[in-house]
Order: sequence, then C-alpha cells, then structure tokens
Amino acid sequence: MSSGSGSLGAPRRNPLRDPLDRRMPRIPEPCALVIFGVTGDLARKKLLPAVYDLANRGLLPPGFAVVGFARRDWGDGDFEAMARQAMQDHARTPWREDVWARLSKNLIFVPGSFEDDAAFDRLARTLAELCERNGIPGNAAFYLSIPPGAFPTVLKQMQRTRLADNEHNGGWRRVVVEKPFGTDLASARQLNQLVDEVFTPAGVFRIDHYLGKETVQNILALRFANALFEPIWDSRYVNSVQITMAEDVGIEGRAGYYDSAGAARDVLQNHLLQLLALVAMEEPTSFGPEEIRTEKLKVLRAIELPEDIATGTVRGQYQAGWVAGERAVGYLEEEGVPPNSTTETYVAVKLGIRNRRWAGVPFYLRAGKRLPRRVTEIAVIFNKAPHQPFHPADVELLGNNQLVIRVQPDEGVTLKFGSKVPGTTMEVRDITMDFQYGEAFTESSPEAYERLVLDVLLGDSTLFPHAEEVEQSWRVIDPLEEAWAGTTPFPYRAGEWGPRAADEMLARDGRNWRRP
Amino acid sequence: MIALWDTTGTAVVKALAAERRNAGGVASGLALTLVAVVDESRVREAESAAATAAAAHPCRIIIVVRGESPPPDSGPSESHMDAEIVVGGRLGPCEGVVLRMRGRLVHHAESVVIPLLAPDVPVVTWWHGVAPARIAYDPLGVVADRRITDSLQSPDPIAALRQRAEDYAPGDTDLAWTRATPWRSCLASALDTASSPVVAATIRTAPEDPTGVLLRGWLRARLGIEPEVRPDGPLVQGVSLRLASGDELVVERADGMAILRRNGMADRMLPLPRRQLGDQLAEELRHLDPDQAYSAALEALSGQTGLSQRPAARVHIWHDPTGTSASGATSGPALGLFE
Repeated sequence: MSSGSGSLGAPRRNPLRDPLDRRMPRIPEPCALVIFGVTGDLARKKLLPAVYDLANRGLLPPGFAVVGFARRDWGDGDFEAMARQAMQDHARTPWREDVWARLSKNLIFVPGSFEDDAAFDRLARTLAELCERNGIPGNAAFYLSIPPGAFPTVLKQMQRTRLADNEHNGGWRRVVVEKPFGTDLASARQLNQLVDEVFTPAGVFRIDHYLGKETVQNILALRFANALFEPIWDSRYVNSVQITMAEDVGIEGRAGYYDSAGAARDVLQNHLLQLLALVAMEEPTSFGPEEIRTEKLKVLRAIELPEDIATGTVRGQYQAGWVAGERAVGYLEEEGVPPNSTTETYVAVKLGIRNRRWAGVPFYLRAGKRLPRRVTEIAVIFNKAPHQPFHPADVELLGNNQLVIRVQPDEGVTLKFGSKVPGTTMEVRDITMDFQYGEAFTESSPEAYERLVLDVLLGDSTLFPHAEEVEQSWRVIDPLEEAWAGTTPFPYRAGEWGPRAADEMLARDGRNWRRP
Repeated sequence: MIALWDTTGTAVVKALAAERRNAGGVASGLALTLVAVVDESRVREAESAAATAAAAHPCRIIIVVRGESPPPDSGPSESHMDAEIVVGGRLGPCEGVVLRMRGRLVHHAESVVIPLLAPDVPVVTWWHGVAPARIAYDPLGVVADRRITDSLQSPDPIAALRQRAEDYAPGDTDLAWTRATPWRSCLASALDTASSPVVAATIRTAPEDPTGVLLRGWLRARLGIEPEVRPDGPLVQGVSLRLASGDELVVERADGMAILRRNGMADRMLPLPRRQLGDQLAEELRHLDPDQAYSAALEALSGQTGLSQRPAARVHIWHDPTGTSASGATSGPALGLFE
C-alpha cells in the first residue's frame, strides 16, 4: 500500500456503481471464505460447487480466496484435487479450465483439529497473510459446516485468536451456521448466545436453504407485487392451507442425528414454519431484512397449536415397502436405528393463526420420508362459491379453487378453477392453469446455496432466519414434542402418503389432503 | 418444421398456431417477441444467437430477410414471400418464423410481422447488420419496445454510434454497449476498495471500436473527468485509473481474463470472458426498460442533453430507400468528443 490511505480510509461510495445500472452484477467486496469441515458432505456437494458457480458467473470479487480447515494430513495439492473433483461433479454451470485456474490459485488448506491451539494460530496467520497478499481489507466469512456439538470449541478458538473480531481485523467478519439450530428452545438460546457473543448479531447468518430457492422468494413477489391475490388472501376467501414437504428417500445413513431429532425437529421447525410465515405474513413496509423479519415474527408468534395435540397432530414411522420400483427397508431396520425407536419420520399438524386475517383458517403442515415422491408445495385452498346457479349434478366434479405454489421440483404456480366442459350441457369441471418457472424464465435458477453464499459475502441477511425467528419456532415445536413424549408413531408403508391417521385427521374437518 | 412457399401472412399465422398445437405444451409461456432483421447469409447466425438467448428468455423469434429493394416501377403483384416455421427443435425452447421477402413487400414487412407478435408481451427488434440511419425509417423498429442495434457492424462504427446518439429514444440500445459490460464490472470492482477519488483515466483501445468510445463516455459521466484515449488494439485493451492518493489501478485484457494491477499489491485476476453473440443478446433481453447508464454515456459523448426525456415511442417516417444511402449518417451538430 503506497499511500496508507488505501485500506484504512473509511469506505466511500464507488462512483462507478449506480443502482439504475442494472447490467452490472452485485459483487461482494474482496473477501475470503473459511470453511470448517471442508471435507464433509455439505462442503463437497454444495458449498464448493456453489463457489465454482459463482466464480463462473463472474460474481466473486478479485482476490477471493477459500480457506479449508479440517482434520486431514493434507498439503495444498490434496485439497486442490478434492475441491476440483467436488466442483466438477456437482457444479451447475459448465466446467471451464480458466475459471478453475483462477480459483485454484486461491485455495488454501489448513490442517488441524478443533482443540488444537496451534492450528488455529496457523489459520489466523494464514488468513492475515492472504488478506495482505490479495488486497483483502480484512473481510472474511466463516462457514461452520460441522456438527453442532463442535460449535462451542470452534467459537472459543475463534474468540481466542481474534478471528471473529471486526475491529481487530479492519473488515467485516461473518459466520454462517447450518441447521439444526438447537434441539429445543433452551438449547437454541444457548447456541444463539454463544454465536452472538463471539460475532456481532448482525454478522451471524443462519442458513435455511429453503429460503434460497427462487420459488420461495417468489411467494412474496406473487403476493405483494400483484393486485390479484392479496384481496382474497384471508379467512373470508381462504378455506385452508396445506403445506407439504415429501421426500422419497429414507434417512440415508444419518441414523445418529435423525433418530435423536425426528421429522418435527428436522424440517417442521425450520423449513415448514418458514414457508408458513411467508404465506401468512402481512405486507412488510419495505423489502429490507428488518421489515420482513418483523412480519415473519408476528406470524410465528400468532401460531396457535391444536387444542388437543393428540387429535390435532399425527406422527408416523415408515415400515418396509416399495418406493419408485425399489424395495425400501423400514425405519427400525435402518442401520444405526435402535429397534424400539419411537422417532417419527412423518409428521402432520394442524395449526391456526391468531390474527384477524387468518382466524379460523387451518394450516395443515406435513412432512415425511419414504413418501411416494419428492415434492414440496403450498396449496391455498379457497372457499366454494356461496351459491351455484347450476344443477348440482353438473357441478359434481367441481372442487375448491386452489392456488398451488410448487417449491420443488417443477417450480411453478398452478391455479385450479372450474370451467365448462365442451358440449351441449352446462357441465363444470376443475381444470388447471399452469405457470412453470422453467418456461417463462428458462435460465436455470441458481442453486439455493449459490444465492445464499453470495448473500453472506454481500452482507444481505434478507433470506436468513434471525435468532428470534428460530427461538419462536421452537416455542411452537417444544409443546408438541412434550405431548408426544412416550407415544408411539403410527406405522405407514414406505411408498404411501403417510399413515391413515393423517387422512382421518383431515376427514374429521371434512377435508382431505391434496395428492401433490 | 413447416416450409411454406409463396405464401401470405394469414397462412403463416394459421400454420404457426397449428404447429404450436401439435407440439403440445411447448413454449406456452412466452416472455417476449424478438424480431431479427438480417441478410440471407446471416440467418443461421441470427438463429443460433437467438436460440442461446431464448434459453434464458423464452420468446417467439421472427426473422425477417428482406431481399433487394425492388425497382420503383414494380407492381405489388411482384411481391413474394416464403416462410419457415420452427417450433422447438433447432431453436431450443423458442418458436421461430423465418420470413423471406422480395419485391415491394420488403417495405411493408410489418404487415406480416404484426399479426405474428405474441399477444401483450414486449417486442424487441434487433438489426443484425447495418441498422437504419433513423430507426423511425423502419416500421419494424417503430412497433418495438426495445431496439437493439450494433454499430460495430457499420462501415464506419463511430459515425454509426454518433448517429445512435442523434436518433436516441429511451429503449434503444447497442451491442457495442453490451460488450462494455464486462469491462465496466471489472472497473467497478477494481474501484470498490479504493478510498480516494479518481482524478484521471486512460483507455487503451482501437480508435474505431465503439465499445472503447462508450467506455469513455461512461467514465466521463460517472467520474466527471476527461478520460484520455490511447490508440491500441484490437478492441479495448486496457483501462487505467489514477487516484488522488497517487495510486494507479490498471485493468488489462489477458486471454479471457482481466489482470488488475495496483501498486503495492499482487496482481489479481478478474473474469473478462469473450462472450458469444447469443450471450450478448441474452443480456439485452434481461432488462427491457430504458437503459439510463447507456443514455448517460451517450450524452457525455455527444454533449446532447435530455436523451432519457425524449419520447420513447416513435412515429414511422416514410423514407425512400433508393434516395440517400441507408447507413448515411445525417450531419449533426459538432460532437466534440466523437472526433
């Protein structure tokens, strides 16, 4: 630095950037990404490929560097080989040697265990040198792709080496935490306190990768950018809402984690409640992270649990069966699952929302493994027309109007309504009008992690659940878990849409589940 | 694919509808209609670029190939049109119609094109070749919401760019400006960490490259300085910015990348990919509103003001093609910066 004013001066507005100039991509300030647990599945399948995709799209700043940290006896060459393999196998965008060549120069591996002080000193030194060499003004994001049990150790180490200290380093320091965010309210609070203490609360990014999906962000666009839907988005017109997250896979070798968590903690607490919040929230005063969070929190606080948890919720556990032409073993036969486990692999709950907009409208949420196919969708089911001028026989095939937001796969929106069947009689039947994301915008949507990693580097926290949201979600889950303690989940065959009790739960309300 | 020989506009509309029905749900969501005006020899080039762009923006492509201008005494009966209709297939996710016209019809191509525009979605007209001196001379430019020219393809690109400033209306854009985007984003990231203002800039560019000229206009508009141009080539080779602190930031082209040099720091690499025509076109189709940065750069270059306040809609001006040459730029006011 020749003049000294180069890196220390207060950041000034870049005159070449103009909000009206929408051709230029948003590129983060020069920074480094430090990945703890870089040899793990998440890093290999999602994070490193996301970094490659961002580089390929030209969205990374000059001098961007990735520092991997893990307990491996590796030189830089080994890390490079592993990263190359991971990026080649899992990147979304085509492979280009020149992009890789540029990226590989700034891949650094620091070996060590989390308890090893020397390793963290080495990490701090490496990072400082890197910043100096690449002209990075002290900016770094730390991705904790490690089991939650290791958080305290790693955070303490970062505190000790002042890795997390903004002022000490002269730039921003951010940390990215993956779910699970605790296992109940108390543990979530503890975790939040710990992370906030080491980093500043604004520097903590909790990843719920569902929020990185284009279709999920589109919920807000659909609701608030249009005049068509918002006027009917309330209890006068909406009959009920169904949110489904179905997976065809089993627990995939994660028995240790899954058996202690179960479907409610694994996905209901985060993904499904976040989807519910986006569907049900009021209009934010602006699209800033603060404003959206405020509205989401209001909805989460207004969630009403079923009066009788035993009849208002259903837990299920899959048994052996057939899924997509293949034999699937039952949950209790999965490797590592205790033979007497009562952990649920399916959960369905009926929630209410105590506010003027949603009073009396049930929100049915369900999530499960080993269901017939992988699908996540939100169905807003409208009331039937108050009066039918047609002969009852002619409208027999007419159901409720529905607006279905397909989150994955086949991202899109479907509107289901009645239409006359061609012919001489006035027969009315349900038809669907379909918007496919891939059709109106065929540009393949960025992977959720791609978007979220970029947002972390840009410091945009709009798509990240806040500590309060996490805690509020646990307030919904904890009483359920308490009531379920000691009960046995209903069995269902792998390849079925959940236990029969779930169908009966809706049947009692005179409704039935949509077949997604 | 269907080929219709010696056909009419009505027959083409019917055939397109039939073909869409046969193809099932293909390309039901159209984001826009792209009208490409090209010469016979470049139809395939335009098609492949459009197919690339359509991968990001599903569209209906209408390729208009106009034959020679007919002699003034030829009657309407000597007009002739052949059409090709492609749904899916080689055009990827889009649907296309290639119209080859001869005779007096070449001056009335819009009569065939307008019924073929997809309902209620934006129309983009793209001249892949020499654009009309005034866009209002071409009715296909008048119906468009956005108009894409390519001044680099004119015999005199700088004169063509000058003419674009002269003729500008909001919604106009030029591929020479699109080619400046990678440079502009490199320069903006280079300046992200600079904490003192830019006091001087030098652009090393081929003098006849309109992209270099537009970069100069943009830097002038954004930084309020007078960038110096040093002849080099081909195309734009590098830009250097001098800061008030005395630091020098240099961005140089180097084989698909840009090298960013700054005294006191190691060289860094930035992406500066050479993009294909299709990718450039895709960038143009992404934003269909008037490009304020482009009009500001043109203003800074030409010394004209209020470009973005001009009415966006044009009225067709009858222009006798046998009169002045199609690319002949009208002499405008003295445009100091262009010289």
